[in-house]
Amino acid sequence: MRIHQQPAYVLHHRDYSETSLLLEVFTARHGRIGLIAKGARRASSRVRGILKPFQRLLIGWSGKGELAVLTGAEQDGPDTSLAAQALYCGFYMNEVLLRLLHRHDPHDALFEAYQNTLQRLRHDDTNEAVLRIFEKHLLRELGYGLVLDRDVVDRAPIEAQAVYDYIVDRGPRRLAHLELNLPTEGIRMRGASLIALEQESFAEAAMLRDAKALMRAALARHLGDQPLHSRKLFRRVVATATGDVMAEAGVDKAGG
Amino acid sequence: MNDITVLEALKQALRRLPGVGPKSASRMAYHLLERDREGARLIAQALTNAVERIVHCKRCNNLSETELCPICSSPRRDKSLLCVVESPSDLVSLDQSGVYNGLYFVLMGRLSPLDGIGPEEIGIPRLEALLDEGTVKEVVLATNLTVEGEATAHYIGDLVRARRIKASRIAYGVPIGGELEYTDRNTLARALAGRREA
Ligand SMILES: [Zn+2]
Repeated sequence: MRIHQQPAYVLHHRDYSETSLLLEVFTARHGRIGLIAKGARRASSRVRGILKPFQRLLIGWSGKGELAVLTGAEQDGPDTSLAAQALYCGFYMNEVLLRLLHRHDPHDALFEAYQNTLQRLRHDDTNEAVLRIFEKHLLRELGYGLVLDRDVVDRAPIEAQAVYDYIVDRGPRRLAHLELNLPTEGIRMRGASLIALEQESFAEAAMLRDAKALMRAALARHLGDQPLHSRKLFRRVVATATGDVMAEAGVDKAGG
Repeated sequence: MNDITVLEALKQALRRLPGVGPKSASRMAYHLLERDREGARLIAQALTNAVERIVHCKRCNNLSETELCPICSSPRRDKSLLCVVESPSDLVSLDQSGVYNGLYFVLMGRLSPLDGIGPEEIGIPRLEALLDEGTVKEVVLATNLTVEGEATAHYIGDLVRARRIKASRIAYGVPIGGELEYTDRNTLARALAGRREA
């Protein structure tokens, strides 16, 4: 099998031998694939500088099975490197994709969403919102989309002022007045937060906090027990930047 | 329980070298035993010496035969300048340029979140302790221009600035003797962005 000129992003690269690289690549039409880039580490290699994450590429490969061989790569469009905090967000997305995507499962819409998210990360400094929206699309593309538009019990539309109890596998259930002071099994949040996530527009910090707790819980189902390395690092970065070491301990409690 | 032959043990030992698979290991073993026993003794002796005598410099983390390496103990070096690099070979390259007269810190790696390589794994706590001593006034971030190198530079930059120490990133551009036509466009873009008065 020979494939030419496929839009793709490198998710991860590792040294394979003295001269070669092992790549995990996310492609538009073939999903995640594993590739060997022979000779890519040589100083004379023409692809050495471009086989890096967050850069849109056009690549070709041959062979099938677990590892194919890269036959060509060129940069597609301008240099799109990420800087500062956006870089850590990028690592986070890549790690989640590596953990959740199976090789050779095509995910066209997710590729589109990934690309849009990278674009937004470069221009938008509300990184948190951008990540939550990506996570929402990711879950939907994997077939675990969240119910965000209606109460799962009576199917009534979500009301901004009402309080809901969200159980990940089921969806939001509006809490009756009497239940408000009782413990419930899901994640508790205002309807406004569900609407914000549905409409991808977060007007208040509390909406982002709710969305984060919900996404954490929803993703935890699929990520398993192994913690995400990039999430740990990201927390350290935020703690360092704000000089608040306690943030390291605090952030993690939400949603477990 | 130990029924592998001496020859087999040698092959397996050689395979610990990066990039050496079973075939190369076997070729090396036969070469040393058949054609160059003297070379084999030299290698064995050199390895033993190196492993016994080389330590990490307690200041810059570079490999050194003394507790404090020659660069760190030189009185002619500017101790207020600290250049952070990923590897000993990066240090050598930079130092050979002859324009830098400060000290170094060698990370022996770079942040690589997806491989689980975080700040502790690359000696960042030691770097922080060094910054806390108060002699360093400027840190030059000379990690590679890869995404991991950039992430590392950003991370350390935050730590440096949090201590009210100046942080700078080395400039990248067109190599001398490099023809613009054959220079990749990212390098050109950076060279343009970092242009200076002529
Ligand atoms: Zn030293």
